[in-house]
Amino acid sequence: MDAFFVSVERILDPSLEGKPVIVGGDPHGRGVVAACSYEARKFGLHSAMPIRNAFRLCPHGVYLHGHHKEYGRLSREVRNLLEKKLPVVQQTSIDEFYIDYTGCEKIYGHPESFAKTLQQEIKQKLSLPCSIGIGSNKNIAKIASDFKKPQGITFVPHGKEKEFLAPLPVERIPGVGKKTFPVLRARGFRTIGDLANSSPDYLSTLLGKFGTDLWEKANGSGNDLFTLEHERKSISKETTFSEDIVSKPKIEEHLFNLASKIGQLLRNENWQTSTVSIKLRYSDFITLTRAKTLERPTDDDKVIYQTAIDLFRRSYTRRVSIRLIGIHLSNLNHFFEQEFLFEDREILRKKMLRAVMKIRDKYGFSSIKIGKLGSG
Amino acid sequence: MKKLYVGTAGWSYKDWIDSFYLKGQSKSYDWLESYSQYFNTVEVNASYYTYINPKIVDGWLSKVEPKEDFLFNIKLHQDFTHRRKFSSEQIHAVKSNLDKLQNANRLGGLLIQFPYSFVLTKETATHVKELVDIFSEYEKFIEVRHKSWFIERFINFVKKNKSSICTIDQPIIGEAVEFKPILSGDNLYIRLHGRNEKAWKKSISNFGKEQTYEQQSERYDYLYSPGELLEIERTIREVLDKVKKVFVILNNHPKGSAVANAFELLHLLNERIKLNIPETTLKTFTRLSKISLN
Repeated sequence: MDAFFVSVERILDPSLEGKPVIVGGDPHGRGVVAACSYEARKFGLHSAMPIRNAFRLCPHGVYLHGHHKEYGRLSREVRNLLEKKLPVVQQTSIDEFYIDYTGCEKIYGHPESFAKTLQQEIKQKLSLPCSIGIGSNKNIAKIASDFKKPQGITFVPHGKEKEFLAPLPVERIPGVGKKTFPVLRARGFRTIGDLANSSPDYLSTLLGKFGTDLWEKANGSGNDLFTLEHERKSISKETTFSEDIVSKPKIEEHLFNLASKIGQLLRNENWQTSTVSIKLRYSDFITLTRAKTLERPTDDDKVIYQTAIDLFRRSYTRRVSIRLIGIHLSNLNHFFEQEFLFEDREILRKKMLRAVMKIRDKYGFSSIKIGKLGSG
Repeated sequence: MKKLYVGTAGWSYKDWIDSFYLKGQSKSYDWLESYSQYFNTVEVNASYYTYINPKIVDGWLSKVEPKEDFLFNIKLHQDFTHRRKFSSEQIHAVKSNLDKLQNANRLGGLLIQFPYSFVLTKETATHVKELVDIFSEYEKFIEVRHKSWFIERFINFVKKNKSSICTIDQPIIGEAVEFKPILSGDNLYIRLHGRNEKAWKKSISNFGKEQTYEQQSERYDYLYSPGELLEIERTIREVLDKVKKVFVILNNHPKGSAVANAFELLHLLNERIKLNIPETTLKTFTRLSKISLN
C-alpha cells in the first residue's frame, strides 16, 4: 500500500489531501516517523527517521499521532478483498501482501491487466492507493512493487529479472540496511548488477550466509514459498501505563487484571493455552519476554495468573520503573470437555469459570470478578 | 428485486439542527419532509412511549407523499414488550396506526424489541407467540438480545410467522453478541446502536435511575469510523442475496452521527454512488465530502 497510514488519515480527513502529512510521535519528542506522504518525502523525509529531524526539514507539515485501530481495520479490508479473489494470499505486514498468481491467468488473464483492475478496485472500494510488482518470485515482486510509487504497476517478465535488477542501487534489496549497506559501499558495490557480477564466495566471506543469499537475489532468484496462517496462533493483552510504575504490588494487580481478561478471551474461543509468556518494558525501553510451557493446557485465569506472576517475579530484577506489561498466550488448541481427565477441584473451577462467563454474558465483563487471594 | 432501505431511528432531534436540518427555518419547514428527501425509511420510536394519535400518522403520510418508496417501521409500545400488560383497546390503538400505514403501502414492519433480561423460558416463549399472533397480518422484526433465543427452534418459528430476527450492533462488552446478520425470514433488519463502550457501561450501572435526555442519549453518542463501516458493509453483503428487503437503521443519533453514518452506508451499499448530502451535514462531518455530489 502507498503511504498506508497517511492514506487512512486522508479518508478520515480529506482536507489532508495534497499536504505533507507525517504520522508518528510528538514532532519535538524522541519518536520516529512511522509514515509520511509523498509530499513530505520531497523534503527528504522518510519513515523510521527521527521525527525531530523530520520537523527540522519540514516544519510546515501536518504531524499526526495516527489512528492505529483504523489502520488495522482497513488492512483487514484489503486482505478480505484479496482473499475473495485469490486462493493464496500472504500478508507480511500491516500494508504488504503477496499473491500467488500461479494458475490464475485462466480466470483473470495476464497478470499485468489483472494488477490494473485490482489496483482500481482497491482504490474505488477502499479509497486506498497501492503499487503492485509482478515477478517470478517474492523477492522480485517486492523490489518491483517499490520500483514505481505511488500507484505504479511494474511487471518483470520471467527471464528478465537480472536485467531489471542490474541498474538498481543495492539498498533496494530487502534486508540491505544500516549494517550491510556501508560494508557493501566500502567495497565499491553500488548497484545490484555489481553484486550479481561478483562471486558468491567473496560475498559469503564478507557477510556470511547473508552474502550468498544476496548474490542469489542479485541474480534474480528468490523465495516463492507462501506461508499461510490459517488459524490464530496466539493471543496477547498488554497495558502501557500512563505513568511508569515501580511498585511491585501495583504491577501484580495489573497482571491479575490482564490474566482475567485474556482468560476470558481464551474461553470465548473455546481454546486452551500451553505456553504463557510475559512481556516487560522498562521505562528506558529495554524490553524482555519470558515464557513458560505448562504441564497441561489450561483456560483457567488462576493458572495463567500464577504462571505470569512467577515469570514476573523472576524477571523483574532491575530497579527501574515499568512502562508496559503484557501477557501472551501461545500454543493454543481447542478445549474438549474431557473432564474425567482432571481432578475434582479443577472440574469445579472449570464449572465456576463457565458460570462466570454466563454472568458476564448477561451483565458485562466487570459485573463479576474472581478474588485474587481466594484459595479457589 | 431486492431493495435497500437505510435510515435512522427517529427523525426529530434538536441536536440535528445545523448538522442535518437547517437552522432558523419558518414553521412550514418540516423535519420529516426534509428527512425523506435523503432517506427512504425511518424507525418510529415515539410509538414505544405513547399511543400515537392517528391524525399524526395521517400527517406523516402526507409529508412523505412525493417519495414513492418511503417506508415506516413502527416500534411496538413498551406495554407489550417490557411491562407485558395490555388491553384490547391498546391493541386496537396500535393496530389502527399500523393499518393506516399498511393500507398506504408505507409499512416496513413492526419492531418488537425485548429487553436484555428477556430470557427464553416457557413463559416468555408463550408471550412472543401471543404477540406474533396478535400482529399476524404485519411484517415483524423481533429484537431479542439474550443469547438463549438463538436456537434453531425459535429461528424456525420466526421464519414461519412473517417475522425476522433483528441484527444488532452494540459495544462488545464481555460476552455481548458481535455484529452478525441472522437469516431468519424474508427480510434483514439491522439496528446499529454505536460502540460507545464507556457510556454503555455507565448506562448499565445507572439502569432504573432518573436521567436527563442527554444522559440517556450518551450511550448512543458514537460515530462509526470508515473502517468499521466497511466491515459492516462486508458483513451485510455476505447475506444480501438471501433476503428480499434490507433495512439498516442507525440509532447513534446524538449530534447527527446517525445521519452521517447513514449517508456513508448508503454510499457503500449502493456501489459507491455519490450522494446528495445537505451542506449542514458536510460542514459538520467533513469526511463526507468524498462521497458527496456537490
